[in-house]
Amino acid sequence: MHGRTSIRAVTLAMTGLFVVSACSAGGGPSQGTLAPPEKQILNVNDGTEPNSYDPTQQTYTYEAGVGREVFETLLKPNAQLTDVQPAAAEKFDISSDGLTYTFHLRSNAQWSDGKPVTASDWVYGFKHLLNPALGAGYVDPFFDTTIAGGADYGNVDVSSASAIDNYLNGLGLSAPDDHTFVIRLAHPAAFFKWVVTLWVAAPIRKDIVEQAAGGPFPSNDTTKPVQWANNASTIVGNGPYKISEIVSKDHATLVPNTHYWGGAPHLQKIVEWFIADANTAYAKYLTGDLDQLTVPLTNVDVVRTDPKLSKEAQIFPRLSTFYMAINAQRPPLDNPKVRMAFAKSIDRDKLAKQVQHGIQQAIMSYIPKGMPGYDTSDTAQSYDPAAAKKLLQDAGVNPAQLNKFTLLTRNTTRNKTINQFLVDQWNNNLGLNLQLEVVDSKTVTSRIRKGQFDIYGPDGWGADYPDQQDWFDVFFKGSCHTLNWGCPILPGYDDLVTKADSELDQSQRNKDYATAQRMLIDQAGVAFLYQDYEYDLIKPYVKGLTITPDDDQSLPGNFFWHDAYIVQH
Amino acid sequence: MTARRPGPGASLTERITAAGGSRVVSLTIYVLRRLLWMIPVVFFVIVITFVLMHLAPGSPWDRTSGRPLSPVVAEALDKKYGLNKPVFEQFLLYVSNVVHFDFGLSYQYQGKTVTSLIGEGWPYTATIGFLAFCLIAPFGIGLGVLAALRQNTRLDYALMGFATFAASFPNFVIGALMVVLFSVLMYKATGGNFYLPAGGFDLDDHLIMPVITLALLPIAFTARLTRASTLETIRQDFVRTAWAKGLTERLVVVRHILKNSLIPVVTTLGPTFAILITGSVIVETVFSIPGIGRAFVVAVTSRDYPMLLGTTVLFSVVIAVANLVVDILYVAIDPRVRVS
Repeated sequence: MHGRTSIRAVTLAMTGLFVVSACSAGGGPSQGTLAPPEKQILNVNDGTEPNSYDPTQQTYTYEAGVGREVFETLLKPNAQLTDVQPAAAEKFDISSDGLTYTFHLRSNAQWSDGKPVTASDWVYGFKHLLNPALGAGYVDPFFDTTIAGGADYGNVDVSSASAIDNYLNGLGLSAPDDHTFVIRLAHPAAFFKWVVTLWVAAPIRKDIVEQAAGGPFPSNDTTKPVQWANNASTIVGNGPYKISEIVSKDHATLVPNTHYWGGAPHLQKIVEWFIADANTAYAKYLTGDLDQLTVPLTNVDVVRTDPKLSKEAQIFPRLSTFYMAINAQRPPLDNPKVRMAFAKSIDRDKLAKQVQHGIQQAIMSYIPKGMPGYDTSDTAQSYDPAAAKKLLQDAGVNPAQLNKFTLLTRNTTRNKTINQFLVDQWNNNLGLNLQLEVVDSKTVTSRIRKGQFDIYGPDGWGADYPDQQDWFDVFFKGSCHTLNWGCPILPGYDDLVTKADSELDQSQRNKDYATAQRMLIDQAGVAFLYQDYEYDLIKPYVKGLTITPDDDQSLPGNFFWHDAYIVQH
Repeated sequence: MTARRPGPGASLTERITAAGGSRVVSLTIYVLRRLLWMIPVVFFVIVITFVLMHLAPGSPWDRTSGRPLSPVVAEALDKKYGLNKPVFEQFLLYVSNVVHFDFGLSYQYQGKTVTSLIGEGWPYTATIGFLAFCLIAPFGIGLGVLAALRQNTRLDYALMGFATFAASFPNFVIGALMVVLFSVLMYKATGGNFYLPAGGFDLDDHLIMPVITLALLPIAFTARLTRASTLETIRQDFVRTAWAKGLTERLVVVRHILKNSLIPVVTTLGPTFAILITGSVIVETVFSIPGIGRAFVVAVTSRDYPMLLGTTVLFSVVIAVANLVVDILYVAIDPRVRVS
């Protein structure tokens, strides 16, 4: 018993060389006595079952919550989210032209069935991901627009196996030897090291896929290549955990991958429950059946005032910013002054306190707290009703002219509450008489895609990875009506961001993105509202968590679960 | 030898045998005809669902959260699932597949067939629904008869008071209240030694709260219906005759009153059974049960067309079969009912 503890301590100290905890809930296992192995179980609520257990086919954060543990990517974000750190690749080089990424794989990396992980598994995984017939959700724009030969992704004839093979074989992916994986890019992309931290960029075992499919299959087959992922026994990964059991729509159980190069984790079992109802999950936390929980908004005040629960509660920033999209294609909303008048007549602190229970925090800039580029120095959108009125006057707009506009609102309690607050703010502060237009969510989605709205929100952006490129590309002209709903005209923005995206000098990139952020704020490309925060309960016996703002939703610490442990309780 | 004319207490087989072969034949023909009628019924269910589904705004590839799917990928997915074909062609393809019992692949769950998804979820739903039904028949009918026999007594008032109370609370309220009482507060009170699990499925104490929550409303409804129809029967002449003959209370109630008063109750129990075993969205959500009731709603909101069609077809078949069973039961309970 004693010996086991010290071995664990050594393991943790070694991994500690790479992982410096950012807002860790505890230190090493010295904090309290380590619970025996049979009690090293973490019960968490992942909310929804992954639509697929094949990481390349996943899209949602609840899918990543499982995928990330079972498959390890080449690189991963460090705990501070300032840069990438080694994961499946122990190091990587970028050629001086920024076009060739060479990943040096760990020679001791093994699959959960004990076979060595080779570079050809990586090539196969990437081709599986990029197979246009499968239509994986996270290919475009991350992989097809960066990897050499990927641009034709949307034009391949998916009924033709040879057309698909031609496309896949033309991709800039190669394995010069068993431990070297080379990716060639179509153009310099400084953010590509972040792209390979996406959990979908995983190695896949060809022999297992083909065995589960009942033999080799042509590339245009869309069902056979994913069969392997429907059965826990054939989900063989290279990550720290493997799936020991799947009870569909109920839970998935993860146990350590004994062949993982990084050594044995403390947690002997992670049970990810798929509980959709927030109140049920809350009850399960109270009865000790869950060890972590995101507090439902309705229970926030109960938790805050409860002497025991309030001690177990922690609040974490998340990498997502919410804002109101203003349709710049409908005059006079094309005038930045008019948009700014809207932005400056929102009392965001009141919104945060009264409507959001003090969980979400007001923000007047784009990049959220917790990620490189967070900068609150530009306060152009700050609350100032007098200045807002003056802006309307300067623009020569009579408030009555704006009354024809409506605020397009998704038919959910939360959206209606927030938007009612906003309409009241605008009506009081600007002397308007705006109305909500509440419509079912699906209709809202199809309308904003066609630009059929005046003002719409709250819309938001959440980081795919903590690089600013992922954020600023949203407001490209080319993203008009796909991500950029209001389509504001920001002179010089596209060129500046395009330059920053490919720029290899990080400090220059940061400068350019900072300029781009000021453009967005000063010309009120959108009206910023708040940053998302997560109010979580964590049982006091869960220690060693390294929590980052990029963690998957409701799974605080899941990027570094390998180092988490349970103390005696 | 003269055939004994079966009394009201004779069993179904007894009665059918007594009625001679012609009755068996006509019953068989009746059942077959009803079964064949299910084909056009299911077909129209498919037509209506298909039309409504495609009229509903939004596409299966819209994202409810996170990064919206890029148009390039959405196009690839349309091709993959044949959604780029004309709607009528999609419909014909679907119907021809259904004829071969192929309900297609789910859009939401990669590489999983609708049949396998229903196969995964239905056992949970059916178990809970069946257990709830086992409570409804005895409790609903029992309490109803009891209240009728003791009409205008305190017992009657208490029972009907309970029924009104149970019928007027939506089951998400009852479910949530039970979770607070029997999970959270009981956990606190017993220091975690005894409490009912707040959610999940297992063949143990996990079943208690969902089954009760699911059964409560139908019990109340059945009890009120049974009471009303029993009160009506009690006043009939043949019951007075039965009492006058000096039959025991048990015989009068079971043979004479119940047989007659149960007809309307059985009529409602059939569809109730069908609804119970096809799942309650609310109970499955509140108690986190991985059944098909919830799967159906998820299929609707995520526009998982094949899953939506598959579950709808299943529901319509189950309801049609339940109604058929009810009609056959009429014959068993009431000899006056003839198949035609």
